[in-house]
Amino acid sequence: MDAGHNEERRTIIQVKHLTKRFEKLTVLDDISIDFREHEVVSVIGPSGGGKSTFLRCLNLMEQPTSGQILVDGVNICDKHIDINRHREKMGMVFQQFNLFNNMNVIKNLTAAPVKLKKMSKEEAEDKAITLLRRVGLEEKVHSYPSELSGGQKQRIAIVRALMMNPEVMLFDEPTSALDPEMIGEVLDVMKELAHEGMTMIVVTHEMRFAREVSSRTLFLSDGHVEEDKPSHELFDHPESPRLVSFLQKVL
Amino acid sequence: MPFFKTVEKLIVNYGNFFTEGVRNTLIISASAVLIGTVLGALMALARMSQIHPLRWLATAYIEFFRGTPLMVQLMFIFYGLPMIGVTFPEVSFIPDFSRFMAGIVAMSLNSCAYVAEVIRSGIQAVDSGQMEAARCLGLSKKQGMTMVVLPQAIRNILPALGNEFVTVIKESSVVSVIGIADLMYRTNGVKAKTYNTLECLFVAAIIYFIMTFIFSKLVAYTERRMAHGRRA
Ligand SMILES: Nc1ncnc2c1ncn2[C@@H]1O[C@H](COP(=O)(O)OP(=O)(O)O)[C@@H](O)[C@H]1O
Ligand SMILES: [Mg+2]
Repeated sequence: MDAGHNEERRTIIQVKHLTKRFEKLTVLDDISIDFREHEVVSVIGPSGGGKSTFLRCLNLMEQPTSGQILVDGVNICDKHIDINRHREKMGMVFQQFNLFNNMNVIKNLTAAPVKLKKMSKEEAEDKAITLLRRVGLEEKVHSYPSELSGGQKQRIAIVRALMMNPEVMLFDEPTSALDPEMIGEVLDVMKELAHEGMTMIVVTHEMRFAREVSSRTLFLSDGHVEEDKPSHELFDHPESPRLVSFLQKVL
Repeated sequence: MPFFKTVEKLIVNYGNFFTEGVRNTLIISASAVLIGTVLGALMALARMSQIHPLRWLATAYIEFFRGTPLMVQLMFIFYGLPMIGVTFPEVSFIPDFSRFMAGIVAMSLNSCAYVAEVIRSGIQAVDSGQMEAARCLGLSKKQGMTMVVLPQAIRNILPALGNEFVTVIKESSVVSVIGIADLMYRTNGVKAKTYNTLECLFVAAIIYFIMTFIFSKLVAYTERRMAHGRRA
């Protein structure tokens, strides 16, 4: 999974000149970058640097101010495309889990795929049970989110995204809201996904994860991708002074 | 004659006046809340709409009806509308139908404004992450609303609607000024007949209190029941 092989891989997401402003504040400033199939990319950087906004632009949860985002060659910023069909292909996992509070676990997992006719109710339930078993939570099928720990909620949120058979998984600080003892169980699930070849873009503060699991790491600061390198290189030989000082603070 | 003896006498002799008043008060309040809820739901939709003029109109309506006295609104509808040629029809088998209608319309329009705010804040109290998660799965805004947000908003809205009913029962006493025979109107009638002013008001206050107390308890009970249901 190292960057050297990337050349052979299909590009899934192409970001071209992405700029995002909120009122006068420029959060993302002319970012161009590619993501390839099976790549696991970590995005690190100071808080407020635009990491979440960047991730949210990729599935148009934020509307870019200008620029293009091509997913499988299709520009999703185009007004004529059905963004809902594109979002199905991109699973998203949030810092705050965002499990549906009015549904139990099995409903959380099956509601969207069944509603969107991706599969029948029976198929969805079978798939849900299989995935729950893999994250070690099959006994929680009928629990409600309020009855789960943070780590359990996040593992189920990951499973919920996987239910749609996404091509890419986006993670926005998936472990930042967790008690320290629960971080490991969530990272383990993410590692397993990575090893299975899932394409992942992970905004994270877990530098060990970035370094050891992701093939590539981006340092996003002040709306710019200041550094974009194979993870080991980025951590061992940081170049920009900002990255150096950032790493000094977090490591 | 001691106070409570008089009260007892009033209840025995004029009981049917008071019960008729209670009946009319309940009819008007229930109609107002029912109609107000239907209209209020639509008004809340308009208030949250993406269409600017619609949102503006709804906001103006809500602000206006919440910012002016119910008494004034009632007078406008009862005296003002006929002056510009809008009258409520008389129905032969229901006495005083047009008067009654004016009361119900005024109370409903007023309630609509409050209910609209109840519904809107009930929806907005649902964590925005819930809708985001729905949208990220590829669900449309409408699907996210019906599958995820509304079922959670209902928990906030129902108790507040119950409280709105309690408020309306009390506020409905203003319809007596246009001659609708509600509890307040009947109380004034008995007062005029017997000159037992204080005792009459006492009876009315107790009856109003019983109605609102029973209903608030009911609301509190359902609220507890819903809280025991599972939620985050
Ligand atoms: N919806 C929004 N409206 C206005 N400003 C926003 C909004 N979302 C984010 N921002 C601003 O954009 C900047 C980047 O935010 P964010 O992408 O959340 O950074 P990060 O995830 O790296 O901490 C911050 O200054 C933040 O205040
Ligand atoms: Mg963030």
